[in-house]
Amino acid sequence: MSMRHDPELDDVLQDQDLMRVAELLHEGRMTDPPLDDAFRSALRRQLMNRAWGMGGTGVPWWSKLLGPTGLAWAGAAVGVVLIATVVVLMATGNSSTGTLDQVYVTSPMSDQSAVRLEQPILVKFNQPMDHPSTEAAVQITPATTVAFSWQSNTLSVLPTSGNLAPNTQYQVTIGPGAKTATGKPLTEPKTITFVTSPPPSPSPSPSPSPTPTPRGVLTDQHQLPLPAGISNIRWSADSSTVYVITSKGALESVPAAGGEVTVVVPDGVSSFALSTEGDRLAYIRGGKVEILTLSPTSTTEIVPVLAPTLVGWTKSGVEWTAADGVYTQGADGQVKVAPLPTSGTVTAVSFSPDGTHLTYTQDQSLQLLDLATGKSITLGNAGAQFLGWSPDSTGLMYSGAQAIVLSDVGGKTSSSVPAGEPSWSSRDEILLGSDTDLYEVNPDGSGLTRLAEGTFHLPTWAPNGTAFTYFRGGALFTASAPAPPPRPPALDSATSVVNGFMQARKAGLQDKATAYLDDNGRKAYSGSNAGLNLLVTGDPGFSRYYLLTQEIIASEPDTAQFVVRIVLSHDKLDVSTYEETLTLVRTQGSQQFFVDGAAAGPLLPLGKGAEVVSVDVSLGSVKITFDSDLMPASVPAGVIILDGKGKQVGGTPAYANRTVTIGDLDLKPGENYKLVVLPTVQDVGGNNMAAEYDLTFLGPADAHGGKHKDEIPSPSPS
Amino acid sequence: MSDLPRHDEGELVERAKQDPRQFGALYDLHFQQIYRFVYSRVREQTAAEDVTSEIFMKALKAMPRYQDTGRPFAAWLYQIAVNAIADRYRTMRPSYPLEDFHDLSIAGPPLEEQAAHRDEIRRIWALVEALPPQQKTALVLKFQEDMKIEDIAVAMGKTPGAVKLLIHRGVSRLRDEAGTLRPAE
Repeated sequence: MSMRHDPELDDVLQDQDLMRVAELLHEGRMTDPPLDDAFRSALRRQLMNRAWGMGGTGVPWWSKLLGPTGLAWAGAAVGVVLIATVVVLMATGNSSTGTLDQVYVTSPMSDQSAVRLEQPILVKFNQPMDHPSTEAAVQITPATTVAFSWQSNTLSVLPTSGNLAPNTQYQVTIGPGAKTATGKPLTEPKTITFVTSPPPSPSPSPSPSPTPTPRGVLTDQHQLPLPAGISNIRWSADSSTVYVITSKGALESVPAAGGEVTVVVPDGVSSFALSTEGDRLAYIRGGKVEILTLSPTSTTEIVPVLAPTLVGWTKSGVEWTAADGVYTQGADGQVKVAPLPTSGTVTAVSFSPDGTHLTYTQDQSLQLLDLATGKSITLGNAGAQFLGWSPDSTGLMYSGAQAIVLSDVGGKTSSSVPAGEPSWSSRDEILLGSDTDLYEVNPDGSGLTRLAEGTFHLPTWAPNGTAFTYFRGGALFTASAPAPPPRPPALDSATSVVNGFMQARKAGLQDKATAYLDDNGRKAYSGSNAGLNLLVTGDPGFSRYYLLTQEIIASEPDTAQFVVRIVLSHDKLDVSTYEETLTLVRTQGSQQFFVDGAAAGPLLPLGKGAEVVSVDVSLGSVKITFDSDLMPASVPAGVIILDGKGKQVGGTPAYANRTVTIGDLDLKPGENYKLVVLPTVQDVGGNNMAAEYDLTFLGPADAHGGKHKDEIPSPSPS
Repeated sequence: MSDLPRHDEGELVERAKQDPRQFGALYDLHFQQIYRFVYSRVREQTAAEDVTSEIFMKALKAMPRYQDTGRPFAAWLYQIAVNAIADRYRTMRPSYPLEDFHDLSIAGPPLEEQAAHRDEIRRIWALVEALPPQQKTALVLKFQEDMKIEDIAVAMGKTPGAVKLLIHRGVSRLRDEAGTLRPAE
């Protein structure tokens, strides 16, 4: 049993019996209680209303001036920002004075890290200002063309493009040229710094998944009229019929909905398998492999040289095991596909549903044989038992020391789920039967849900992923389980993993970050790759990251590629940046994404010309967003896309509102392209790009491979 | 306890102290665990909602006076929760449906053994209900909420030594009342 050691209790519970009680207490943690989300939301609203009523306790008087009433003209968006605002006194730490001798400059955006894009930059003065001199004294980095308006003592600075640039650190400086209405100049420049949020995303498209049935409700439960002692439960391809072998060796079938039992073969059957299409049935009887075509009914037989022990199907036909190997029927007779070991006691256990792999035991060792290569690998420790395949044959389950281990057909462990009697469905849900409960769990171990109480032995899913059989009291029953909750799209799942990985790195949590890496990922961050460090330490430090591009680039297995920009700061100011290209691969079996590859780009200085802050790739166009307003004339020759042969592709770049769009593209999924931004591109301040910017990306997958960045909600910044 | 690094949580707490409107982030962070703890003690959804509301309202009101003692912010919330539940106990007796406990991670065939083990767990937690309130609270915070002894001390307004004593006495009583337990494997 799983024993848990809590060092804190070592000196409290020194008796072995006491420790045993403590372990039981630890193991019996409560499941999540019933929770009404409406209550949770309502309480939050109530708290926030109360908080507004309390005002900013301990906050200077000028903070309250920035309350929702004072800024009503700015609309709800600014109000939301204010809820999350810490007002920073820019001129002095002494906030209690109300004197007009000094000019105080504040902003609700100051030091914020996720400022919304659709709003002006608000600069608040503690006294009336001279408008022309103050406006003339405003400097903004990155270079931005703005318009000014005043509301009382608040200066509103609005980019003429309409919005702030995404993923950008802004520095707004009010220079000493600014004067008060009485002609008094600022004694020193005041700078407001903030970082904007990622670009907004359109609403996600409706999920194609069906509305889930409430969990925990089994339907259509009934007993099937089969005798005790049956085994080898198989469903027909259309999930309408259940086939079994009786204790007398008869192969029988029964409609799952209930009805008469049909005797398919009267006796002597030791193994059987339905073809993938469901139109043929192969079984072993009397030392022969017989093949029954179901409609119209006909039977053929194969007489193996050695006695067959287990039968299965591949795409091309029937296959079977004998004492010395795996055989199939070729055009010229029987063909040995792969040998089985000749030493020890070898027992064939199960063919994969697609017939490409076989599990067998050799003495106490569980083995997985790849029939294409003839090579076997050992699964788990001695005594491990095979527990089932994934319906798509890419994963399998076997017993571990404490839980059920899921691995891919390469033998690589992908996850584990609690112990029980498992069955893996075509909807990627695993049923766990036992004496007392029936649970359902996702292959990655998440979403453990109790479906029912009672005895549910040896559950077996039907191909439709809804119906299943189980044993209770020696009898065979069938029931239908509710549909699993809809799964997030592949890109959402991969994005979630990247954010978890990057947040762990930012927090300096090496172990947690490492947990997101597979073997290749660990090698990539092992120190041998220049510029690629799992933890970014030193000064300037890792202050934030954002996702520059994100694409699904392949399927089977799902593969995603992200370009992540890591921003390094010194004294809260962004000073340099570099990019990492991360490749994530979804493991077969558990369906989890892991970081499988990584490469780092060069370190680039910030604040020296325009920067690319967002790139959206679709098959027909690429949109490149800059942090600065650009000189339009510098764009056409400065922003280009090259294909894998270095040939320029796409139409003439169009420029508007800091965004360059290159259309007329016909990007090929999976092919290499390069975005090149030349140093000749200038911002409106006349500054050239500090260096050429290159971004290599792949043509996005088509509709079957996933979605592109501009179709999904953007992730939150760090 | 939340997974947020201490320094990040400290920043949230400081903001909320300065401006109660920032309290929402702390609420989002800790609602689930506090609600779960309350529910485990009162065992009724409406009552759990009432007590949880009371806890967060009190926390919001007291936020400007919150002193960072170096312990997680959640320990302070648990302290308010322990007191609120104690108030509730004076007027109602919680029931304790045993089926709310489960643990499939106890794993490993045969299934009969799992069932027996699960029964043991249910039995031991049922006995927790009969413990004196202070012992019960200490055991729940330690074994259900996975809190450190020093944090439990904050939550219960006691010294760590007193908490250790409560745990020792509680577990000893459980051992005596449970009779013979199956040996660990």
